Amino acid sequence: MSSETADTVWTAYDLPLQGRPGLESADSSTPAESDELILLRNQTWFCSLRWLAIAALAALGLLGWVTTVLSPIPGIHLDPGWPVLVASVLLLLNVTHLIMVRKISQSARRAVFARRGLWLQIVLDLVVLTAVVHYLGSLYTFAPFMYLFHIVLACIFLPYAQSLWVMLAGMGMYVICLALESTGLIMARSVLAGVLMPDRRVISLAVLAWQFGSVAFVSLTVWYLASRLSNALRQRDEELSGINRRLVAATEERAGHMLQTTHQLKSPFAAIQANTQLLLRGYFGSLPDTAVGVIEQIATRCEMLSRGITAMLQLANLRSHAQNPPPPVTVDLSALIGSNMAALRPQAARRGIVFEQDLSPAAVQVVHDHAVMIIDNILSNAVNYSRDGQRVWVSCRAKPDGGAVVVVRDTGIGILPEKLPRIFDDYFRTTEAAAHNRSSTGLGLAIVRQAALAGRILVHVESAPAHGTVFSLDFPSSPGKPERPDK
Amino acid sequence: MAYLLIVDDDADFASAMDAVLRSEGYETGIETDCEKTIDRIRERRPDAVILDVMFPENDKAGFQLARSIRRMFGELPLLLVTAVKQSFLLGFSSRDLHPAWLPAAGFVEKPVDFSLLCKMVSDILARAKGIAQQSLRSQGDG
Repeated sequence: MSSETADTVWTAYDLPLQGRPGLESADSSTPAESDELILLRNQTWFCSLRWLAIAALAALGLLGWVTTVLSPIPGIHLDPGWPVLVASVLLLLNVTHLIMVRKISQSARRAVFARRGLWLQIVLDLVVLTAVVHYLGSLYTFAPFMYLFHIVLACIFLPYAQSLWVMLAGMGMYVICLALESTGLIMARSVLAGVLMPDRRVISLAVLAWQFGSVAFVSLTVWYLASRLSNALRQRDEELSGINRRLVAATEERAGHMLQTTHQLKSPFAAIQANTQLLLRGYFGSLPDTAVGVIEQIATRCEMLSRGITAMLQLANLRSHAQNPPPPVTVDLSALIGSNMAALRPQAARRGIVFEQDLSPAAVQVVHDHAVMIIDNILSNAVNYSRDGQRVWVSCRAKPDGGAVVVVRDTGIGILPEKLPRIFDDYFRTTEAAAHNRSSTGLGLAIVRQAALAGRILVHVESAPAHGTVFSLDFPSSPGKPERPDK
Repeated sequence: MAYLLIVDDDADFASAMDAVLRSEGYETGIETDCEKTIDRIRERRPDAVILDVMFPENDKAGFQLARSIRRMFGELPLLLVTAVKQSFLLGFSSRDLHPAWLPAAGFVEKPVDFSLLCKMVSDILARAKGIAQQSLRSQGDG
């Protein structure tokens, strides 16, 4: 990170493009979704799972065709017809559901559709699964344990009681399947038909009960564990949501208080400053020099306080989530820098500091106020921390791929390497800086930091004590999704 | 002589502005109650209104008043004076300060530089006069 030129050690620092550790916002920037929307979203997610099931069934059908027609396997009989049939039914269900979601997601009936649709899907899926269990073999195969997929999914997405109903419905359908097969109402099937396919009528009720009991016991155990775990996670999630809501409310309240406090503080200072101007400009006659000196001191302190309050407000604004920031607009940075330098020139000229500029037009998409705050603070710092009679170099260039790079270089007091990473902290002022410029608020670079985060502007600093500082600002062509500011 | 109405709940600040503007040759009036402003304008229509945007009981009262004045008094120029002028996040929504929505001829931020204030007032009045003359000419042409 350090580079050495002659006998001067320059230290570089890149402002990280994310919030400070531990200070990230707990707020979700997206508005809270309604229960119906969550339900619809979950159903659509189930649909994507169903595509996998359709693919698996199609593969099973292919395997059935291979093992039946091309290369029969002794003891295994996989009819290729039924997997394709079941896959077709699932395909039809999925397409119908997606069409319905698209039609109804914007309508007032969304809530009804979301709830009824969910249960309709669950029941239809269980029916299809029972058919698969029947064809693969309701006895002596792994097929009945496929109900576990549904049970676990229900535990994850549904409340405790509802997931129990799903488990019971699954077990109910399995019992019906066993009953229909054992009574001969439907012919029992199994991929293991060639190995063991006893006549169901000779299988004792005890064997059937054992088979069902095994599946039911495992299902009940999995349901209990999964639903307990899921419930605990859901409760935790709700607690976190509640904490988040309180945090957002507290932030908004704090922002409101900050506004009021700023107004309440700034207004009296504005009045004092206005009246000092009246006295100093001689609206009420001439004053003795000593009185003018005192009034000038009052005016200076008022100006400092007022500037400090403005900086606090800007920082609070940048960190506030109370309202949406204005959209980025196209800003020519060279024009903005030019007007900012024009405003700073009188102050710089008083100390014999001269700007040297190399500005090319560079249009970027940025929130105008943010760009103003960044440029203003960086240029002001360059002037404030230069020594009398020095120069400040400012350049602005458009990048070939969009965006722009602004470089501000001074030959002022510089920053010690160990202090460089802290210069963007609130109220941080190096001892050297405080001694050189007593009117600093210590918030200028904190404002730069927040505005840069919001606009995804890369800030690179290089500094050498007693030799100066270089700030490079890399503006993207468009800010994209802004980083969440610190609280 | 142009007549300016200063609307600000801070009487000290309003009287300082009043002193400066009077010394510049303007006739001035001060109103510290936001709710009485419309009546004051009805009593005597000013050439421009200098309006504080925040009032103690309602921090958006100034904006609301600005919109009411525009609705009721057409092109009467408004110069907004504010202790809090950031067109983002805190305090005001961007819509509050958007030129398409807020009918202000200009903003001055407190603490006010009186040279800047006088220049802005002068510019606003000149612009309003230009618009009025243009309007008269176009009526004459019609």
